[in-house]
Amino acid sequence: MRFVSYVAACALIAAGTCGGWKLGHANGVQGRIDKDSLSATAKSQTAGNSMLMLAVPLSRDQALAVMKARHDGMGSIGDAGKAIHRSLGPTPDLPALRANSQKLVLLSRAASRWFPAGTGPDVAKTRAKPEIWQNAEDFAAKLRNFQAAAQAFDSAARGNDVAAMNARFADLNGTCKACHDKYRAEEKH
Amino acid sequence: MRVWDVPVRLVHWLLALLIGFSWWSVHHHHTDWHIWSGCAVLTLLVFRILWGFVGSSTARFSSFVPGPRSLRNYWSGRWSGIGHNPLGALSVLALLGAVVIQVGLGLISQDEDGIYMGPLARLVSSDTSDRARDIHALWFNVILALIVLHLAAIIFYRLRGRKLTLAMITGRAAIGPGIEPMRSGRWWVALICFGTAIGITRWVIAGIPPFSP
Repeated sequence: MRFVSYVAACALIAAGTCGGWKLGHANGVQGRIDKDSLSATAKSQTAGNSMLMLAVPLSRDQALAVMKARHDGMGSIGDAGKAIHRSLGPTPDLPALRANSQKLVLLSRAASRWFPAGTGPDVAKTRAKPEIWQNAEDFAAKLRNFQAAAQAFDSAARGNDVAAMNARFADLNGTCKACHDKYRAEEKH
Repeated sequence: MRVWDVPVRLVHWLLALLIGFSWWSVHHHHTDWHIWSGCAVLTLLVFRILWGFVGSSTARFSSFVPGPRSLRNYWSGRWSGIGHNPLGALSVLALLGAVVIQVGLGLISQDEDGIYMGPLARLVSSDTSDRARDIHALWFNVILALIVLHLAAIIFYRLRGRKLTLAMITGRAAIGPGIEPMRSGRWWVALICFGTAIGITRWVIAGIPPFSP
């Protein structure tokens, strides 16, 4: 009976965490890429190592634009990852694999511009947790690991050693997961 | 007298445990454990369905799947017997069906990052896998509702003096005079069913060759 009540408790908690019906985009912000937001992006780039620190705070429009770019970019990274996983199947599709691994490298580099301070959940709906900016150094290190792993996978993908591709892909997935487990909030359904 | 055999009780409690574990693991970044848990649930389901045809009398679908007449009889208090009563049988079938659908959805799902794929995800497009994952997450609410109903029914019977949970643990319950007792299934038939369930699960994990791409 105690076990049954445990399951019931789990069930009720789960019911609580699953709100309304919402499929697809977790990030509902309608951002615009305009001149201002681009200059904000440029500022964040020039900040180099301390990419998460901005001397001048972002305006709301700039923040929304960055968050939109981040949401779309992360979606594209996910799509590339899924495509790579599928083309690494029993009969690897190397041309598709290489196209997506290149895309992934470019996206991983762009990701350096996606997390300026002031683009957290207090600004607009996002799954990026506030911890990103509280642990800025750890986050930046994890982002660099991801970028290096994307590069390493791309190098493997250019060769013909499928076992190496699988190994680098597993490494790459590890770097996605390391960050997402810690810094990404759960998808709301 | 015995009313539930060991396989029925084991399947019941393992299913409860694995549903709880599946929920916990997927919410704690253990998607790999979640997938293995789903495969274990698949094994239980296949076993239970087979046992529903060749198992003990109270385990067999033929003994408990109700028709409209037995439901009417039960409603007006004219049903007597052991095992699932006609109304409870509907709940059992709904739960089993909902879990079958949930496992089916999970098998063709992929995660949002392209890290994990269900064993049968390659049989469908990437978009279909994503949609299956969304429905899989929402479908859990259906299972949850059925579990709540199940628990509510147990509490309802308990208030009227019937201890159903104890019978599902010990397998024993007092049965009235003149009611036909449970006919036990054979242990080696259970073993064959279990072996078959493992075999089918392994085949599914392999991507159901030769249909896998």
